[in-house]
Amino acid sequence: MSSASVTEPAVPRPRTGARHRDLRRFLLQRLGTGVVLLIGITLVAFVVTHLVPGDPAAANLGQRAIGDPAAVAAFRHQYGLDRPLPVQYVVYLKNLLHGNLGISEQSHRPVLTDLAEYIPASIELALFAIVLSTVVGVGLGVIAAVFSNRWPDNVIRVVSLAGVSMPIFWVALVAFYLLFFKLGWLPGGGRLDPTQNPPTHLTGLFTVDAAVHGQWALFWSALRHLVLPGLVLAIYTVGVLTRFTRASMLEIMGNDYVRAARLKGLPERVVILRHVLRPALVSIITVAGVAFGNLLSGTVLVENIFSWPGIGQYAYHSAINLDLPAIMGVSLFVALVYIVVNLVVDLLYGVIDPRIRLS
Amino acid sequence: MRLNQWLAAGCVVAVTIGLSACSSTSSGSSSSGTSAGTTSAPAVSNLVVETSFVLKTVDPARMFEPTGLMIDHVLYDTLLTYKGSNVSTPVPDLATSYTASADAKTYTFTLRQGVKFANGDPVTASDVVFSLMRTKNINGNPSFLMAGITATAPSANTVVLTSSTPNTAIPAILTNPALGIVDQSKVVAAGGSDAANAATADKAEASLNTTSEGSGPYTLTSFSTTTQVVLTANPNYWGPKPKYGKIIIRNVEASIQKLDVLRGESQIAVDLSPTQAQGMSGVQIVNGASPNLFFLLTNDNPKVSKVTSNPKFQEAVRDGINYASLVQLAGTGAVQATGIIPTMFLGSLPTGSGATYNLTQAKADLAASGVGHPTLNLVYPSDIQVNGISFGTLAARVQQDLQQVGINVQLQGQSIQVALNSYRGGQEAMGLWYWGPDFPDPADYLNFLPGALVGLRAGWVKGADPSLEALGNTASGTTQNSTRETLYQQILRSMNTSSPFMPLIQPAQILVGATSLKNLQSNALWLVDLSELG
Repeated sequence: MSSASVTEPAVPRPRTGARHRDLRRFLLQRLGTGVVLLIGITLVAFVVTHLVPGDPAAANLGQRAIGDPAAVAAFRHQYGLDRPLPVQYVVYLKNLLHGNLGISEQSHRPVLTDLAEYIPASIELALFAIVLSTVVGVGLGVIAAVFSNRWPDNVIRVVSLAGVSMPIFWVALVAFYLLFFKLGWLPGGGRLDPTQNPPTHLTGLFTVDAAVHGQWALFWSALRHLVLPGLVLAIYTVGVLTRFTRASMLEIMGNDYVRAARLKGLPERVVILRHVLRPALVSIITVAGVAFGNLLSGTVLVENIFSWPGIGQYAYHSAINLDLPAIMGVSLFVALVYIVVNLVVDLLYGVIDPRIRLS
Repeated sequence: MRLNQWLAAGCVVAVTIGLSACSSTSSGSSSSGTSAGTTSAPAVSNLVVETSFVLKTVDPARMFEPTGLMIDHVLYDTLLTYKGSNVSTPVPDLATSYTASADAKTYTFTLRQGVKFANGDPVTASDVVFSLMRTKNINGNPSFLMAGITATAPSANTVVLTSSTPNTAIPAILTNPALGIVDQSKVVAAGGSDAANAATADKAEASLNTTSEGSGPYTLTSFSTTTQVVLTANPNYWGPKPKYGKIIIRNVEASIQKLDVLRGESQIAVDLSPTQAQGMSGVQIVNGASPNLFFLLTNDNPKVSKVTSNPKFQEAVRDGINYASLVQLAGTGAVQATGIIPTMFLGSLPTGSGATYNLTQAKADLAASGVGHPTLNLVYPSDIQVNGISFGTLAARVQQDLQQVGINVQLQGQSIQVALNSYRGGQEAMGLWYWGPDFPDPADYLNFLPGALVGLRAGWVKGADPSLEALGNTASGTTQNSTRETLYQQILRSMNTSSPFMPLIQPAQILVGATSLKNLQSNALWLVDLSELG
């Protein structure tokens, strides 16, 4: 019997059918909220982009073409900029319903095609970084909590503080210089070696695609190229997760039921992992979810330094070129990331803590 | 303690995995050596070039960005071209010769015989006309090159370009890769059009970003505007076979380019600043003045500013800038701009004949202007660099110089997109900008005259300087190079005495390459000719 069931009154379990209905209703509610949120994001992005005192035609046409009324008119017509703003927005929403995010003014391709190219690179990097940082961060947090106020804890606290304090671009440059240039342990920028062709496309995640198709040389190359940017991205998240894990566990370790579990003679490993870490996971997962969203949508500097063709670089170039369709597309993607991550985190709460699932 | 044992085992596993991941060097990187601090010849005929991409498309009719120029130059032949770093005289490419009419309105080109596109189709006069008219009618970035020009093919071997006004720059214009010759039948099949409504009718860009339809020394293998572009040697190329079978052009940030070229991960780094290139060893450094020109403008329109439109104030600014310190700031290879025409082009003034720094004279000019000690905003784009030079750094130095004259300059760095609006609208009292050549001919710089494109941005309206405008008209219709040179130099001298423009510097243009590369030369138009490398 778990200590939770000792301290908490028993909650009557609803029937399976009722639970499924509740889950369906919960998912539908979240889906509806998500759709409203996405539409709101398009409106905000549209309005804010138009408040910038710049002209997409000036941003995208050359110094001579901008002086040619025919070229300017052709550009405005091509991207629908010659229509009134409300009409532009309504047309955008209408096209959005058909899965058309418009044509990028910088790449001259459908935004959806651009996103399909850049998002997998970011997902692969973010997944690598979040898995690495969760394993290391939670592990260090557990050690720090177990050895609270002893030397392992002190060392880990210093390390985690350094992780959250160091500017990420600086860490990236130093890591690149040391591990690639000086020591040659890891490859430099890009997702593959320059002369290698990408693996046969399936998911866009090179490691996955190469492994699925048995292209092991490519798999190894893709994995090695992930390590350096992944490590750099993980450093900050490791710091955050270590501190959160430690703090959460120390708070829980002071509870009566933990003392009761120890008094019952349970092994320390069981007490720590089952009765302390498990309840602490609720807050850890919240932090990890937000961190994953950040990794997926906000890695411009690291992507730039490591020549990583991800969504961060695309967003940056879209912004400086006032590429409205691309900015809208990226905004939608980022909003979608946070909606999905929050939904997954909410569902994971239920997996970790039955009381949340039942309520 | 069992927990401790678990943790220790976990640490050992983690370290083992980490070490094994790091254990091998970049073995997959094929073409280049990997030992630190050295560069070596590629084992196979691959060439890796790194640059910070400014690239939207490689469809020649729509392309007009630096990276696109470098790529399209080797994908598409043009009627005329330049060799190496010499951009003073166009040489034959697809056209073996040409003649110009005395009024500089009609140019007749004779095509090279037996040239084939990479796909095996013969290159014809019809392809040339289609390509040039497509660029003109698409109304894209490079369309201005063909403004007022019509191409016709009176015979299978002859192309005639007719200009509505005298246009002595046509030979120079035709070297631009945006006027590269495409295979008409293939481009039309891909939705291309050269009709008057090509701006809406042409749909061939996506296809041309996948498959190049040119006759140049390379063909397009893969294209991405953010990652890399891969080129493969064209087996049907009519000229000297290029050394490298495959060229990989990668999008890499400048500081990383430096490390990559030093480690032999790449063979050419295109975007290093003089500071970054300083002290590099084990590589070759090609360093010369860039054709990009930084200049200061003081608006000549009294409605914009009564102060900056004052001719004596303009003289005070011109005399009060310490040009030598700007050159020093820009690093080795940078030079003072002797006029608005860069030093490597016909009509430029010789070194040492630009404006000179004279603080005493500047103070006297300011006193004579009667504007007191004015405070003015200096607008510049704060988020871009040109040849590694930040506008902000340059603006701060200008501010410092003018402060000594008695002019208080408030720096107003803006995002390029915001700053462009006020600049192009002619609304800036003072601005710090640059001009990159559209084509390497002095005619391109007539845009700075009163009433012309850049002149208007400085509030310099038509009729503001009739004698200078008359000189400009004469220069634009003169075909004799020696006469043109004299006329353009007269224009520059006049502008260096009285105009709202103060040419400042031409920054250094640096190429860093592996020592194994032969014939590495910097080109003002396409940065480097990748097909000429040995």
